[in-house]
Amino acid sequence: MSKVLEKIRSWGAAPGALGVLGVGLGVGLLFFGSIGAFMVHANSEKFCATACHEMGYLAAEHKDSVHDSNRTGVRAACNDCHVPHGYIPNYIAKLGLLNDWWGHYVTGSIDTKEKFEAKRYELAKRVWVYMKENDSRECRHCHNSGKMDPERQSEKAQARHMKAKKEGLTCIDCHFGIAHKEPEGPGPQELNEASK
Amino acid sequence: MRRKRSLKILAMLRTWSAGKKSVVVLLTGIVASMVILGLTATTIVYTSTEEFCSTTCHEMTTNVAMEYKGTVHDKNRTGVRAVCPDCHIPHSQIPLYIRKMGAVHDLWGHFVTHSIDTREKFEAKRQELAERVWIYMKENDSRECRGCHNAAKMDPEKQSEKAQARHAKAKKERMTCIDCHFAIAHNEPQGGVGPQELEVDKSLISKGAIF
Repeated sequence: MSKVLEKIRSWGAAPGALGVLGVGLGVGLLFFGSIGAFMVHANSEKFCATACHEMGYLAAEHKDSVHDSNRTGVRAACNDCHVPHGYIPNYIAKLGLLNDWWGHYVTGSIDTKEKFEAKRYELAKRVWVYMKENDSRECRHCHNSGKMDPERQSEKAQARHMKAKKEGLTCIDCHFGIAHKEPEGPGPQELNEASK
Repeated sequence: MRRKRSLKILAMLRTWSAGKKSVVVLLTGIVASMVILGLTATTIVYTSTEEFCSTTCHEMTTNVAMEYKGTVHDKNRTGVRAVCPDCHIPHSQIPLYIRKMGAVHDLWGHFVTHSIDTREKFEAKRQELAERVWIYMKENDSRECRGCHNAAKMDPEKQSEKAQARHAKAKKERMTCIDCHFAIAHNEPQGGVGPQELEVDKSLISKGAIF
């Protein structure tokens, strides 16, 4: 123990140790602060919808959907549905940005509307599988099914929700193609059960 | 002259790095900053949860949290909720930090003066406490309401005719959300004035669009 203390004392005795510590603190604050600020910025609707023209197609489709404009003006913007809300999944999703950059700068995979339309089904499927695998985690971040009031839902909705619960369905199984155009092809319910 | 100064800085850096363990000290500083930022952020996130707000002090649990239960911001058609911090804690950084420091006042009331430690005391102070929140909301043009409710994204056609007419009137008269939408999550205080009767400095409001 005294050895450790002595060691620490010897560090402190080094000339300018306090200054070095201060520089370390400053560098750290700047570095981690920047990461935090980047995370917030990269989650904003403005960034998502305008930084790349590819996203502009999707943003235009989202406009006037119920998650954009509705009775109460309570909205879900891009990140609410497409970026995880927990820390670790958020960081992992942010690393996925590298794939977006690769597509944007190198392969130009969806840089025209035609290319985008040709890939729409594949892209939609990727999101559906992701949402099915995590039981529509991002939907549930806003929509707390335990706090839904069935009496305020239509009879049809009540019956369907009951059925979905019994059959182990998740939100995206039915609520797809609600914020972006629906692609041609099998929907989420037809996707391989193995992906659950 | 400039060269001389840069030499001086170089020499300074050299003396620092001459310290045998200066790299370790530097890394210590970096790690310390991470811990400080991490703890601060975690504290802010944790103290902004519904669980923390509604269960930590019985003053909140037995009065305002209980009253909130079952209101439209707790339970509704879509299950999209507004919990304690959504309405009562600013969403942007600086006002958030100021509000968090204001929580020291709550600690004072809880531990020292016991200002609302019984239901009776709380009821006796209800009007005063409600007015404090109403004034705060009026002064910042119901900023926290608008953190979720984006007026420009409201679809009037999906609102009742009454709501459309009232919103149009409110816009004309430069009113703000809380002027009408008060006591929607907690019991309404009896016998006192409502938000519309309270005078506040509207200079802040006039600077920005109301709807």
